[in-house]
Amino acid sequence: MTAPTITITIKIWRQAGPDVQGSFEEHTLRDLDVDMSLPEMLEVLNEQLTRQGKIPVAFDHDCLEGICGMCGAVVDGVAQGPEEKTTLCQLYLRHFHDNQTITIEPFRARAFPIIKDLVIDRSAFDRIIQAGGFVSVNTGAAPDGNVLPVARHLAEQAMDAAACSGCGACVAACPNAAAMLFVGAKISQLALLPQGRPERERRALSMVRAMDREGFGSCGNERECEAVCPKGISIRNIARLNREFLRASLAADETV
Amino acid sequence: MSWFTQTVTSSLGKKYIMALTGLLLGGFLLVHAAGNATILLGRTDFLSYARRLHSLGLPVTIAEITLLLLFCIHAVTGLVLFYRNHQARPSPYAVSRRAGGRTWGSATMAWTGIAILCFIVLHLTNFYFADHRRSLADIVGGILDNPLYSALYCAGLLALTLHISHGFWSMFQSLGLNHPKYDGLIGTCRWILCGSIVGVFLTIVILLLIKRNYLA
Amino acid sequence: MQLDARIPAGPLTDKWDNHRAAVRIISPANKRKYEILVVGTGLAGAAAAATLAELGYNVKVFCLQDSPRRAHSVAAQGGINAAKNYRNDGDSIFRLFYDTIKGGDFRAREANVYRLAQVANNIIDQCVAQGVPFAREYGGTLANRSFGGAQVSRTFYARGQTGQQLLLGAYSAMMRQVAAGRITIYPRREMMDLVVIDGQARGLVCRNLVTGEFERYGGQAVVLASGGYGNVYYLSTNAVSSNVTAAWRAYKHGAGFANPCYVQIHPTCIPVHGDYQCKLTLMSESLRNDGRIWVPGQAGDRRQPAAIPEEERDYYLERKYPGFGNLVPRDVASRNTKEVCDQGRGVGKSGRAVYLDLRDAIERDGLEVMLQKYGNLFHMYEKITARDPGREPMMIYPAVHYAMGGLWVDYNLMSTIPGLFVLGEANFSDHGANRLGASAMMQGLADGYFILPATIGDYLAGTGHEPPDTGGKAYDLAVRRSEQRIAGLLKNTAGKKPGLQTATHYHRRLGSLLWNECGIARNRKGLQRALDAIPELREEFRHNVVVPGSGRELNQALEKAGRVADFMEFAEIMVRDALAREESCGCHLREESQTATHEARRDDEHFSHVAVWEYTGEGRAVMHKEPLSFEYVTPVQRSYT
Repeated sequence: MTAPTITITIKIWRQAGPDVQGSFEEHTLRDLDVDMSLPEMLEVLNEQLTRQGKIPVAFDHDCLEGICGMCGAVVDGVAQGPEEKTTLCQLYLRHFHDNQTITIEPFRARAFPIIKDLVIDRSAFDRIIQAGGFVSVNTGAAPDGNVLPVARHLAEQAMDAAACSGCGACVAACPNAAAMLFVGAKISQLALLPQGRPERERRALSMVRAMDREGFGSCGNERECEAVCPKGISIRNIARLNREFLRASLAADETV
Repeated sequence: MSWFTQTVTSSLGKKYIMALTGLLLGGFLLVHAAGNATILLGRTDFLSYARRLHSLGLPVTIAEITLLLLFCIHAVTGLVLFYRNHQARPSPYAVSRRAGGRTWGSATMAWTGIAILCFIVLHLTNFYFADHRRSLADIVGGILDNPLYSALYCAGLLALTLHISHGFWSMFQSLGLNHPKYDGLIGTCRWILCGSIVGVFLTIVILLLIKRNYLA
Repeated sequence: MQLDARIPAGPLTDKWDNHRAAVRIISPANKRKYEILVVGTGLAGAAAAATLAELGYNVKVFCLQDSPRRAHSVAAQGGINAAKNYRNDGDSIFRLFYDTIKGGDFRAREANVYRLAQVANNIIDQCVAQGVPFAREYGGTLANRSFGGAQVSRTFYARGQTGQQLLLGAYSAMMRQVAAGRITIYPRREMMDLVVIDGQARGLVCRNLVTGEFERYGGQAVVLASGGYGNVYYLSTNAVSSNVTAAWRAYKHGAGFANPCYVQIHPTCIPVHGDYQCKLTLMSESLRNDGRIWVPGQAGDRRQPAAIPEEERDYYLERKYPGFGNLVPRDVASRNTKEVCDQGRGVGKSGRAVYLDLRDAIERDGLEVMLQKYGNLFHMYEKITARDPGREPMMIYPAVHYAMGGLWVDYNLMSTIPGLFVLGEANFSDHGANRLGASAMMQGLADGYFILPATIGDYLAGTGHEPPDTGGKAYDLAVRRSEQRIAGLLKNTAGKKPGLQTATHYHRRLGSLLWNECGIARNRKGLQRALDAIPELREEFRHNVVVPGSGRELNQALEKAGRVADFMEFAEIMVRDALAREESCGCHLREESQTATHEARRDDEHFSHVAVWEYTGEGRAVMHKEPLSFEYVTPVQRSYT
């Protein structure tokens, strides 16, 4: 068994609350197991801080298997860390080298206000979904599951888009703090499936409007979102969103 | 709000505006480059092209006004987007690194846009608002044999290259024209377009700098 | 404590229909006068909230996470069962019912399980209509796979992310109702106490996790869908925040806790690598179809796996169970794995792992075929361990995965506290002593979409729609108690006295105690030891736990400590329940109850009942029994030798 432990210096963002100034704090952690994940490293730090009578670092994490979308931070300038298609909780210390200094800061966007340290408020995403990220079907009103056939490749593409965990890395990575990948993924999923068709125009119009209300930036087609997305969601979904919105704006019979 | 204002004031609407005006401005550049390519044929051909163009009269005026409008819309919308995007992230990251999507072209879009704006002011001062009692060939020759101007024009062309390198692809993406089968074609067209426009202009600038009396 | 399961009369197949026709309902015009509080936004909670709101009730929804979409149902991988018989392979509602009740080792109610199998088909239809991207055949119809040893292909799936997709479906339905004004979401809230007024559940007190303030909410019914208690073991496949707190508060108000000793342990998880890890990642059991499980024959053999010759390897499952080999049921695989590791033959850094070796399958079918089958699992394994399963054997170890036990509920999903309904993993209802693969999501969604919305009206019709006085005595008391609990956790300051430890430290100790004494295999002596040790540990925790910061802010250490405190209390009834159940059944081997060939022996004569624990004061509880009778199936003993 090789390279068992390393020493890491963390420069981490500390901010006591939403309206106070934050700053970086530096801590050195020694003898860390290289198989440790980033949240586990922060646990080590927090235990050290607790023993010193200091306030531990607040950071969101829950499932620790990369699916819930709860964790997230910018590590050395890259949202969700330097590994491809990886959430923070699946970033391991073996991806870093001995005596490396790692800078960890929260996702930054006007639409994602900081609550404390690395914890941010992503409720803007929920409000966007409330605007139309659903199919209006009451429980019990559904026809048999096989009534509407769905071509396999379309189901697969819809699944590619639906894999979004709503972690917000796309917004964090976007130079303009845009939420287009998130919105594009949901619009795509439901536009690709026949079940989503009846509402596709309403959905595109009202979800884009909700996105604009939240104060996200505008897409610059820079593909940074795609590069950091833990689920590998393609910007093709953004193109589809652009198409859906254009179509809805120019050709929809109903107004929203 | 009418559906139209709702559309154009939305974030996506602004992107459509950028894409469409960008497309038309690109088209103009292509025509402009084709016309100016007559410089390479020599003074006589260039002047005859210019004379014929201006003899069209009203259509040229209309085209000029349209072009000005397109340009203003593109620039103003671009600046509004630039400002809004800046607002969307009020506090910047301490460390910022590309994750793999950003290119030089995309990262500098706003700056190359502003550079092109400045360049066009210079360009119009040099030629459009010049003293037209002299022949156009003399005006062109007179400006571009000055190394300072040559350098400025080269800088302008560099900005243009960067701007188009991202803008062309971005235009298709913004309009939702994107398909795995045609992505390669779009990528190739970007470089052909960029190469032909910038190639023509750059050749003219270099030619006139080296052969000072080429248009005499 | 009265345990009236209220099973409707009539033949098994008609019970649910008869019941729905017989229960009282609320008229559409009156529904809007009712307020229902839903705690938890996993499959059960989200589905219930959305459906109740569609019916016209006002719903308030509470969750710990920053968004309801993150509840731990999101991590369920495999799929969801339904007896659609789309494959024409002889599946039927009765067969699904039978497989589920047999999977639960005949420790669940017939009527409940049959109803589950009945509504399963509607769940699939509902989810498809919501836009859940289920896997499809080329012709566009829904695809199925066989799962967990079932003889028919009845599992619907969306890649390895079925839980995520089903949850997002329920979440989106809920979001639609938020937009319609019927649901209000309260994220980052932790339920601190239940409010019971005149014997009826009427509201709850929450801690706002951002501000630390206590908030009071009232309604005509409270729905708990707060998940399972697997995290009591510290190491589990559950999410970090999964806890027993909400259920435990209800228990302390008089809700019966049923079968707390039933916990499912999953055999194929990625082994633990260090003390700071609290989470084990599950890998699909399908790997056992092609992988051979082995350890070195000699204890303490630290050679690399490739260096261990064939004759020095012990393929212990194949050796002991020649008929089933590596495909023995979860509990048998888990038990034997723990056993060989306890003998010192475990591998890896910690010695708490065994090899799952695909070498022979790769040689037989080629790496290409294996990658097609298990590519995503290989990828996941490599991501976590940085080892390539194509080149060296994987290492696996069992981990706590699912809690079959939970708050006792009747056929209407109502607990022993009138007005308190319990759904999904938080209740005990359908899985008996073991849960069949791909049926957790089925149960959560059945409870939320179809069962509760049909049964809650019967209760509400008997209550008024007067809102409770949230400024009243019951609320004051609940807030005061919650404040005291928080103050108790915050009383120590680091460095002020020796021996102070973090909540995680105590959680780890509690977990390891339970894993060893109340895990896969149990015996009276071990359980007694645990029963003696738990109160001591709890006392030590109470005196020496150190929680930094204050209660008036976002304080994750405080949240964690509060949950550990409840686990410390809960562990005791879990062990007592295990001690009282002197039979091997479902997931657990009770060492005193084995056959001559060391197989689990179920004791239907003495233990065919649901064990329900009633709180009778601090640290005290009495057990009640709800007998289980089987009219339509005959309990059979398992045999795998």
